Amino acid sequence: MRRSPIMFSAMVLLTASCGEKPVDTRANLHLWQHQTGPEEHEANKQLIARFNAGHPDLKIHAQTIPQGSYPQSVMAAAMAGRLPCVLTVDSPMVPAFVWAGHIRPLDDLIDRNAFAEIAPAGLGRYNGHIYAVGQFDAALAIFTRRSTLAQVGARIPTVQHPWTREEFDGLLGKLKATGRWQVPLDLGTREPNPNWWTYAYSPLLQSFGGDLIDRGANQTAQGVLNGPAAQQWAVWFRSLFVNGFARRQEPDDQSLLHGRVAMAYTGNWRAPDLEKAFGKDLLILPPPDLGHGVVIGGGSWQWAISSTCKSPKEAANFIQHVIRTDEIADMASAAGMIPSTEAAAERTSRFRRGGDWRVFFDLSRAYAQQRPSTPAFTTISNAWYRAARDIMDGTNPRDSLDDAVDEIDQSIQDNGGFATVAKGKSR
Amino acid sequence: MRPQWANRGALAFLFGTPAMLGLIGFLVVPFLMAIGLTLTNQKLLSPQDTRIVGLSNYERLLGLTMIRQDSVLGVNGDTGFERVRDVTRRTPRLHGYKPLGQAEFGSTRLVLLARDPIFIQSLLNTILFAVMVVPLQCSLALALALLVNAGLPGQRLFRTVYFSPVVMSMVVVAVIWAFLFNRDLGLINQFLSWATFGKFQPVDWLGNPATAMPAIVIMSAWQGAGLQMLIFLAGLQAIPKELYDAARIDGATAFQRFLHVTLPGLSRTIAFVIIITTIAAFGLFTQVDVMTQGGPANATSTVMFYAIERGVRGQDIAYGSTITVVYFVLIATLALLQQRFFARRAGS
Repeated sequence: MRRSPIMFSAMVLLTASCGEKPVDTRANLHLWQHQTGPEEHEANKQLIARFNAGHPDLKIHAQTIPQGSYPQSVMAAAMAGRLPCVLTVDSPMVPAFVWAGHIRPLDDLIDRNAFAEIAPAGLGRYNGHIYAVGQFDAALAIFTRRSTLAQVGARIPTVQHPWTREEFDGLLGKLKATGRWQVPLDLGTREPNPNWWTYAYSPLLQSFGGDLIDRGANQTAQGVLNGPAAQQWAVWFRSLFVNGFARRQEPDDQSLLHGRVAMAYTGNWRAPDLEKAFGKDLLILPPPDLGHGVVIGGGSWQWAISSTCKSPKEAANFIQHVIRTDEIADMASAAGMIPSTEAAAERTSRFRRGGDWRVFFDLSRAYAQQRPSTPAFTTISNAWYRAARDIMDGTNPRDSLDDAVDEIDQSIQDNGGFATVAKGKSR
Repeated sequence: MRPQWANRGALAFLFGTPAMLGLIGFLVVPFLMAIGLTLTNQKLLSPQDTRIVGLSNYERLLGLTMIRQDSVLGVNGDTGFERVRDVTRRTPRLHGYKPLGQAEFGSTRLVLLARDPIFIQSLLNTILFAVMVVPLQCSLALALALLVNAGLPGQRLFRTVYFSPVVMSMVVVAVIWAFLFNRDLGLINQFLSWATFGKFQPVDWLGNPATAMPAIVIMSAWQGAGLQMLIFLAGLQAIPKELYDAARIDGATAFQRFLHVTLPGLSRTIAFVIIITTIAAFGLFTQVDVMTQGGPANATSTVMFYAIERGVRGQDIAYGSTITVVYFVLIATLALLQQRFFARRAGS
């Protein structure tokens, strides 16, 4: 026991260094964000720096976590009760986080009017509350070249007058017939990510008149995901591969850039590269109307406040700072993403009326539909991914869709319909 | 002073403790916890309290049943059978069952139903993989070992070259091979087309249910054979030179020397290599996850892949644990049988 005085002093030192430093009286606010592209990351850093400068009593500690493992990290932190105050959440995951009790309503802390200008897809709503808000959104479109369409004499569609299914299928046939491309279309099916498949291809299902789940009460997928419209979608989707209109797996995501395909179905984040390569020849077009109007996916990464946050007021200050028009415009310009508000769009050179990328803003405002707002989203997304991929690979579409419905309905039943559970702890 | 027996025992225990603690902490305890999880409905993200559900996870995983169908008259006047899913989705007793296989006998049909046909298919896929990859990889490794042991010039270089895939990350190797296997741009199709003067029709190796698993087998054997080659090399060098000399004096040909000196001399090494290769084969995950994600149509889904898919990505950790526990029992049985088989052969 002769060492104990040394141990004791070491412990005192440790405790002292762990505690708040007397010089820094600022309240700490921890923040987690998923890793993004370098431009967006830099813009986020500046945003936080500006906030820190404007709030001398607060200090934000931001931590960036790789996107691939972000959901797991957040889930692990949530289970351990160690979520940071402020975190980014992918918008379809918001209901699951609410249901699990991990995030708190923003409209308890911030006046609802603050969100009035934000596009519907920029808000993470659940059970009548706003839980998350995003500065920007993404949009999928058909990318092609003016010269390509001119070669087969195809009409250039507009946001108001998109291609019909007949036009689109006919165009694919004509493009294939030129012999210039082994396959005319890159659908993006190489991506092995359930969330991408839900984001990209369930809007096509919706355009056929089907859906992932009956959105009335979000309690069953029966008759919606396996109904006649969904089966029509499945037959059409499969036909794209059978007819040689699309490859099931492109070797990379440069197909249009390298001229391997005539058209690519992908997101606005590809626009800078393609614009650099094709200049004025690049066309950004709405996806086809497959019978029930054009549909594209809405909802990107959003900011939320955790239930365990000890300084919700300060966190709310940060959220309010994030949705300031100038901050939204700065972020949208830096990241090349669609601003969540009209006012912010007008302050960017790309998305303002007449801007090069205005079409994304218009598409998003006119056709974006959010993914099902239910904690069952992960199950739905996984089931849909398996079914859609199997249909692409030629399984019986009715069987695959029935299996997906059974899986989703079973999960909803297992979880007691995902009714919100009153919880003693947290909040 | 020579240590006493008791002291040596204590010493062995002392030296073994760090490894044992590691094994207990990272293997035994998690496994016991996994067994516990299989009896619950634990999810990864849920506010609901975990409940004990007994053996229902096992029932969901392994449930099998059979139904008999009589043919019915269709709308067009032709006879056929009712769609199996229409029957299972309508009958409460069969709820959750999906068709696994069927056999027709005239106007009746027997349909085998399973609660989780993908698990059963994944199990069969894994066995298929092991059956294909173990002989291929072991014989490839033996051939390489004989080659670099033959005293040819530059064998040190080749030993390194053959071993290099083992050192590479499996993810990197899998990504590269996915490019090689690509239908239109992959080197393999281009080579086959060139070698047959364009007669060869390009194959979508990883996109075709018939070729996807063999493609993974070839890639895995290529990647892994280097390790087994090293073990075989050690075994080869342990065979006394005198035996070869004696065989040569007796007039044995090179093939006879291989058959009657090399192979018997390697029997223990071969047994060891086969066992470790089999165990590794049953853990197939990375290649599938990177190259095919279990597709096309579950043709390459393996048990480990399926366990991760359900347990982690599907957030149903209780069900994922059930898959691994059942799988553990299967593999442990197999390893014991294999060991006993080789032990008996060595004894006889």
